[in-house]
Amino acid sequence: MESVLFGIGVTALAGALATIAGAAEDTESNIGSQGDPNSQVQLAPQMGYIHRIYNKAVSGEPPAYGLWVTISAGVAWAFMATGMNPVLALVIASALAIFVQGVYATTAYLGRTASLAKFEQPVYIDVIKSVTTVTMAHAFVAVFPAVVMCYLLIAALGHPFPLPLLGIVWGIALGAAGSATGNPFYGKERQYQSQKFGAGVPISASGNIVRYAEAGQRSSLDNGWFTAKLAGPASGICFGLIVFLEIWRTVLFEDVASGWGAIIAGVVIILIFTIIDRYVEVWARKNYGPYQAEATEEVSA
Amino acid sequence: MTVQITASEGGIPHNTIMAVGLVGSLVCLYLTYANQFLNAEYAAFFGGLAAVFALLWGTDTIKNLCSYGIGTGVPSAGMIAFGTGVIAMLLATKVETIVPFSAPIAAVVFGAIVGAVAGWIANEVMRMNIPVMVRSLTEMAIIGAIVLMGFTAAMAGGFGFDALAAREIAILGPLTTTSYVGSLLGGCLLAVSFMLGSLALQHPFNACLGPGEQQDRTMMLAAECGFLSMIAVAAISFAFIAFPAALLSLIVAIVGWYYTYVRFIELSKRDAFAWLDAKPILEPKGDD
Amino acid sequence: MTAIAAGSGGGEGINPVASAIGIVLILITLAITYFAVPAGLAALVGVIVGGLLIGFGIHFVPVGGAPAAMGQAPGIATGVAMLATGAGLAGLFGGAWAAANPEFSFAVVIAAGAVGGGLMMAITCLMVNIIYIFGMGIPAASGKVAKDPITGDTQEAYKSQGTEGHGLPFISYVGGVIGGLLGGAGGTLIYYELLQVYTATLPGMFGADAAEVLPIAVSLAGIFAVGMFLVNAVLAAYNITGTIEGPHDPKFKRFPRAIIGCATASAVCGLFAILIVMGV
Repeated sequence: MESVLFGIGVTALAGALATIAGAAEDTESNIGSQGDPNSQVQLAPQMGYIHRIYNKAVSGEPPAYGLWVTISAGVAWAFMATGMNPVLALVIASALAIFVQGVYATTAYLGRTASLAKFEQPVYIDVIKSVTTVTMAHAFVAVFPAVVMCYLLIAALGHPFPLPLLGIVWGIALGAAGSATGNPFYGKERQYQSQKFGAGVPISASGNIVRYAEAGQRSSLDNGWFTAKLAGPASGICFGLIVFLEIWRTVLFEDVASGWGAIIAGVVIILIFTIIDRYVEVWARKNYGPYQAEATEEVSA
Repeated sequence: MTVQITASEGGIPHNTIMAVGLVGSLVCLYLTYANQFLNAEYAAFFGGLAAVFALLWGTDTIKNLCSYGIGTGVPSAGMIAFGTGVIAMLLATKVETIVPFSAPIAAVVFGAIVGAVAGWIANEVMRMNIPVMVRSLTEMAIIGAIVLMGFTAAMAGGFGFDALAAREIAILGPLTTTSYVGSLLGGCLLAVSFMLGSLALQHPFNACLGPGEQQDRTMMLAAECGFLSMIAVAAISFAFIAFPAALLSLIVAIVGWYYTYVRFIELSKRDAFAWLDAKPILEPKGDD
Repeated sequence: MTAIAAGSGGGEGINPVASAIGIVLILITLAITYFAVPAGLAALVGVIVGGLLIGFGIHFVPVGGAPAAMGQAPGIATGVAMLATGAGLAGLFGGAWAAANPEFSFAVVIAAGAVGGGLMMAITCLMVNIIYIFGMGIPAASGKVAKDPITGDTQEAYKSQGTEGHGLPFISYVGGVIGGLLGGAGGTLIYYELLQVYTATLPGMFGADAAEVLPIAVSLAGIFAVGMFLVNAVLAAYNITGTIEGPHDPKFKRFPRAIIGCATASAVCGLFAILIVMGV
């Protein structure tokens, strides 16, 4: 009983850490404009829309977060091997990983923007100065909990993988969950805020991203401010649920029926999520209705 | 509406870059063997330099391949390079225990085999029909193996399988015990090299692509990515090699990174349309 | 993944000559293993099966790439190879955990990996739909079929103007879960088989206790599983040129090529991974 209680406690903590990591991950990628929505930032100058949006084309979020979390895990492992206190090692290692992240971000912005000279897109130095540090801060908030979570899984729950290998596993999963959940909200809802609500962006509107704010001109900081209200928390819940339920079913039901208990629990959870998804899908079809030729069904917010 | 991959033409021919990259990285890998004759692993930093050479070569390879538009973006190419490379590199470290001083050559041979198979599958079985596919994936698997080997040498001072799997830990003065869990393989630090290398391989071209891409700028970024990765590797090496040797690696990495980073910013300034600080959006004067 | 969209179409249909050569290659690797590391033969078969499960699973995962991020195409707005890898590695996490328990049977380990991957995709796909429906007011609609093959829902009327559809219709959701299940099972199978080989041979190689060298076996099997997962995922992504809606997409019919290709790639990679313990 004692060990189960301890396991559940660690599970809850790991889930909470994962939630923070997921929320910060998505907000960071939207402030830096990373992942698939970035294709529009890249496209805009070619269509004649010069902008002041950051262009952090490092790679997709899964490999990028795979790298940041793995660097942090590897360096922390090495520092702990030399006898450093784990907490200190994790903090310093995360800071080093964020230094790498910041350098990658600036080189991506400079590289992509300089290559767009043909379309008269200038490099805005003040955008680099103001946005890079903010993405680094958010990345730290994403990477540090992720690495602490990996460390907990080994130190408290006895997972067989060494820290760097868990770092690569959960780093890539973090990027995958965050980009899948958060990308459409940034890509459609924010970049194309001027388009109709409740419909996809017509392909003819590609590249015409919102560049002007209510007052003055938008930089990517405004995108973070916008997406942190919905896409960030949703990504956090997504990654938090993945981590929490994955560990929860193992800790609680692993000893039932020589291992099958955890698997049955997992299948039941999958079925529950499938039912919820179907309900949500039908709810939308019923309440929004099909698209008419011109108007779209408005939803009361 | 999508963005086309565009890149500069001409410049230094790919075969020249490949020759320099291959020879340079192999020479650097062989220089790391000097550790066996020194009282500390002062030659470990040559492993990082080997990775830099290989990344320069790999950047040009990726540029060649991705100019064809492979449908999945640039980063996936870096991933498959290291997925194949890690297998070739580990088998080469095993060969090293049987035939000393053979690991770098073995890594190239095994990398070429695995990469050629992957490229052939992509081209023939998956029917991608891209002329440079087989050659590119072959090169990239070799690059992946060399980069992993270089980072391994920079972390641990060498790359024999037995040495990577065990670490001598001093207990009570002259007595030592063998630790497997604290070794480079036991800690799976290859995972760190894997991610560092795969991002550094795809990033330079991915970050510089566009109509204004210039070869010298992309190459400078490749060197910058290599040295930046070496900083993280040098930080990890403190756990495995003598303190002064690890410090030497770190200093070489920081100096190399700083120089290439500053040069890259200068080259970006040269190529950019305008370099503005706190200025509003310049709407184009042309007729849209 | 990046600002790059598909440029090459890729031919349709199976290339019979290449497929035959691929199968011959698989047989050659099995023969080499039989003579070099007899104990590794069953493991190599397991690795090959794991690789083709991954390659097959990728074809189920609904990924729309950059257009999906603007609600212009259905699917998840990220790269197919990396999304599947995220799910597969989440599965590997559970599978490796189960493999560390000596009381669990082979079936439990693989099922644990599969459920881990499926759970990750089930949660992710649900959150994608929640964002689309409650965050953006956009219902799910497929661009490839008139009716959802599972539920029979009509799709055409729910597509907004000027797009190819958006979100994840139920068939895509189910496809995502199946893809996660297959990817998690495949990755775990590769890991488990290699772990068996290494735990059996490494103690003799180093002259040490099994418990002492277990971390080496786990790390080697783990990094090989990650590496092979990425190789198979990227090859399968090449097969579908980066985007697919799910099992109802016409591109899904290309999966036999991926099965042959991924099996061949896994055979060669697996051979190399097993040769590491040669001569023990």
